[in-house]
Amino acid sequence: MAESIFSITIRSLYVSSVASLLAFIAATLLSLVASQLTRRRAEMVLSFFESLVGVPTTVIGLLVYMLLFPGGPLGFLRILYTPYAIIIGEFFVALPMAFTTMFRHFYSLRDSVRELVLSLGEPEKHVPRLLLRELTPILVSSYLTSFSRAIGELGVALIVGGGIEGYTNVLTTAIAIQTSIGNYEYAIWIGLILILITIAITFAVKIVGEYILWR
Amino acid sequence: MEIALENVWHSYDGETYVLRNISLRFRSPGTYLLIGPNGAGKTTLLKIVSFIIRPSRGRVLVDGASFWDLDNASRDSIRGSIVYVHDKPILVRGTVKFNVELGLRLKKRVDESIVEYYITRYGLKELENKSVNRLSAGQAKTVSIVRALVTEPTVLVLDEPFTYLDSTRSTLLIEDIMRIVRERGGMVLIATHYMYRELKALATEFVEIVNGEISSHAKNVFANS
Ligand SMILES: Nc1ncnc2c1ncn2[C@@H]1O[C@H](COP(=O)(O)OP(=O)(O)OP(=O)(O)O)[C@@H](O)[C@H]1O
Ligand SMILES: [Mg+2]
Repeated sequence: MAESIFSITIRSLYVSSVASLLAFIAATLLSLVASQLTRRRAEMVLSFFESLVGVPTTVIGLLVYMLLFPGGPLGFLRILYTPYAIIIGEFFVALPMAFTTMFRHFYSLRDSVRELVLSLGEPEKHVPRLLLRELTPILVSSYLTSFSRAIGELGVALIVGGGIEGYTNVLTTAIAIQTSIGNYEYAIWIGLILILITIAITFAVKIVGEYILWR
Repeated sequence: MEIALENVWHSYDGETYVLRNISLRFRSPGTYLLIGPNGAGKTTLLKIVSFIIRPSRGRVLVDGASFWDLDNASRDSIRGSIVYVHDKPILVRGTVKFNVELGLRLKKRVDESIVEYYITRYGLKELENKSVNRLSAGQAKTVSIVRALVTEPTVLVLDEPFTYLDSTRSTLLIEDIMRIVRERGGMVLIATHYMYRELKALATEFVEIVNGEISSHAKNVFANS
């Protein structure tokens, strides 16, 4: 009997939310640093990450595998085929997504918030706080978008996670494995759950964008 | 308070100068009207006077001290008394009331009675809990002007304040400008294409800028009437 769908779903949600949370934090810090660059350089950084969004997740999986396999530079950590390996891989899957969805706004809003703070006769030290407040809805939807990318990817989870039942099996690997052994009904149910999660996130992003954005 | 520009030049791109060799003196109490065609450099000049833009060349003197050579603490304290209102209002996410209070919140001295007074005076009472992205152009402009007025600045810099404002609100604003100058001994600088009669009478000086240079500069002989 295959692992219960419930426990796979919980594991998937856990692994992907941790990975995308880390990616989100990294993207926010990266945006803060990159927003200090000149406009030309900032555009270059953005284009670079935009192109990274298109890198197939199997390629990212392969690279992380080469990093973590016993003879690799991080092989001593012994985390290949563990949830941590998937988290690392999905971190790299989610990072370009998180960065590209937030950075453009960082750049344009930073200028107007800075102008506003100075025009009110206030020191520049108030800028980050107000900027963060202005960016909140964008940050929330950026997180959700990168989370949905992480939870829906297969390449990394399969290559560095291995889809071990009860340990590293996530929704996407479960679909792949169950389909390959002819357990179609089970695979379809998991597929439906994945679709449901994606739809829920899409709605959440819309609601954040339309209703919270200007509250 | 006196703010003086001394041989000020400014370029945004490092190539073309949009302000060339400007020397001007603004004193409180006083009302200064800045006029000139589109793209002449009025906004740039006002932002330099408000310490938002640092000029490429030349000095900005505050009571004789060169602002950009001061330490951060002195700069912050001088900045605290001056407010600039953008031609295109910059509003933040939130309600009308939140935006009106923003300056006071940053200064950590929200005074409900002043906020209430100006919100009512400028007819924003019904809108106060409305989100600012649903405002008309004139309402948004009013919010940004009221946001400046509630901080009761010693120096108020208004960039095209009358565009989008109806005549009732324009008249109210002129009254408030007069109050700042005559009752509080403050200074108001205005760049405008609208020349209201009351405003003309109020002006201490007219400065005309054309193409980045001062083309005429006249004391108002009818002022203080
Ligand atoms: N941020 C900027 N970057 C580059 N150039 C700018 C910038 N802001 C203004 N300029 C240029 O500087 C010149 C003066 O602009 P400014 O906004 O000071 O004119 P203005 O007198 O306020 O015009 P208007 O009556 O249309 O408001 C214009 O040629 C404009 O193109
Ligand atoms: Mg202008």
